[in-house]
Amino acid sequence: MAKKNKNEYDLKAARELFKEYQVKRKESKKVTLPPDTIEVDDLSRTETLNRLYEVVDNLIEMIYATGRPTLELPSRTASNIIWDEENDLLLLGKQIIKKQFHSLASVADMTRLMRVAEVVHELLTKDKHSTLRDVFYQDVEIYGEQKNSDKSIEDIASMLYTTRNATHIIASAKGLCVGRLRIRDENNIIDLEKFGSGAWAITPMLDKVDIIESDAEFILVIEKEAAMRRISEDKFWKKFPSIILTAKGAADIATRMFLKRLNKELQLPVFSLVDSDPYGHYIHSVYLRGSKRLSYESPFLATPDIKLLGVLTKDLDTYNIPKKARLDMKPMDIKRTKELLKEDFVKKNKKWEQDLKLALQLKKKAEIQALSSHGLEFLSEEYLPEKLTTGDWI
Amino acid sequence: MRVFEKKDGGIVQIINKEKMDDWPVELPLIFIEYIKNNQLKSYDDSKLRKEMENYLDEVLNEVAIPRLIEVLDSDKEEKILEALIRLEELSKKNIEQMEPIKPYLTKLSNLKNDTIQDLLEKISDRFSKEEKRKELLKKRKLMQQKEKEFLEGKISAEEYARIRKEYLLLRG
Repeated sequence: MAKKNKNEYDLKAARELFKEYQVKRKESKKVTLPPDTIEVDDLSRTETLNRLYEVVDNLIEMIYATGRPTLELPSRTASNIIWDEENDLLLLGKQIIKKQFHSLASVADMTRLMRVAEVVHELLTKDKHSTLRDVFYQDVEIYGEQKNSDKSIEDIASMLYTTRNATHIIASAKGLCVGRLRIRDENNIIDLEKFGSGAWAITPMLDKVDIIESDAEFILVIEKEAAMRRISEDKFWKKFPSIILTAKGAADIATRMFLKRLNKELQLPVFSLVDSDPYGHYIHSVYLRGSKRLSYESPFLATPDIKLLGVLTKDLDTYNIPKKARLDMKPMDIKRTKELLKEDFVKKNKKWEQDLKLALQLKKKAEIQALSSHGLEFLSEEYLPEKLTTGDWI
Repeated sequence: MRVFEKKDGGIVQIINKEKMDDWPVELPLIFIEYIKNNQLKSYDDSKLRKEMENYLDEVLNEVAIPRLIEVLDSDKEEKILEALIRLEELSKKNIEQMEPIKPYLTKLSNLKNDTIQDLLEKISDRFSKEEKRKELLKKRKLMQQKEKEFLEGKISAEEYARIRKEYLLLRG
């Protein structure tokens, strides 16, 4: 560990990256998706309603013409998920599945789908939002189990070639955000620096939110709530202009969507701080390129230029993490690390590949909190500033 | 986002005025007031503050005021009422900012809606108080000047008494 005077941390590397982004902003171009993938739009309420009307009109026409209506939607099976190397996104290919009304096998599926379409229509017309759970409880008899209503909801969104949030069916959000940011949430202006020891709870109704003002220079995504609270207590963002957020573990849709919005609109570098274990690295990967299940929404959920700031396996030695704070990797950790090493996006990133291989070699993992073995303020006053100054990220 | 450069190499980003098109009609005004009162003073850079203020004036003249006028000048009573409720709130904090929409408020006095009339009366009272405050300030300055001149023997006791009387009557 390079011992430095605290005042020496000028975040040089992070600021250089920030300047690069500002130059890029001036020449920013639209992301072009590969031709063999489907394009999904984040539609407004009216646009989503119009697409829904189009689908229903087509169905009615088919009923009149042939009496055998079918619905077409993009397949979400593994064989239709494509990794777009250039944009570093997981996307859906052009395979289409057809759902038929007249088949006995698909009658339950179609009924559920139509019921969800009805709910979506009601939500959009009334400009209201509903959770996945609410939708399930609106018709338990039809859905049977929540996994069925969840599937129909995703079917409707992909059938309309839009995001699930655009249908006003939202997942419960669990993320928190603080720092140098002001937002509008409906008719209220919220200052994310003024939450005392707390933080703003990220709303899943992001269509009601606008980013209105910020003087942040980077965004820090933290896996653990405890680590975020630690940094917040030290008012890290006051000294280092930043926005800090956490999804309290696995990245939920609202947090990923909000991060994407911040990244897209403010065009700031994004760094992640996760546990030094395969689960932490997986969480980073979900922020980076999206999850397979929601690959059709990736362009609205993924932040392809997010950097993995730590905790890296090599940091355990670099920052003298005591032996007692380093945990043995379990067989499952080893299996998951090997699986991560097989992923294209890891193979493409040599530094990442190297760090995961080192973890396999040492068979050690550590939590973010292991850094506290050097003192409570070590994370916010030494570790993060040093890494952001030297550019030691993946 | 509209980007403003800080002297330390950092930036401040403010939402583009075009994005305010979907906002509730009174919100741009609240936004301007919020940034002016809370954020501007936090930036220790007069050039930056000036540039931000210019942009906020742009938002005021091109978005906030025209959108309010559009609603207040319409015949949609429900929308007018919604806007007036927020404007009445705003008038408690910054009546001066509402000066450009004053003529449109006067026009609304014909509407036969008690709630609207009640809100208009409250706003109108605040305009009157603000006018009085400004006049009083002007008179107080004049009083101080005349007091000095009276003590120096430059004006008569009668003239001083007349100005003093006017000032006291205004102060109430």
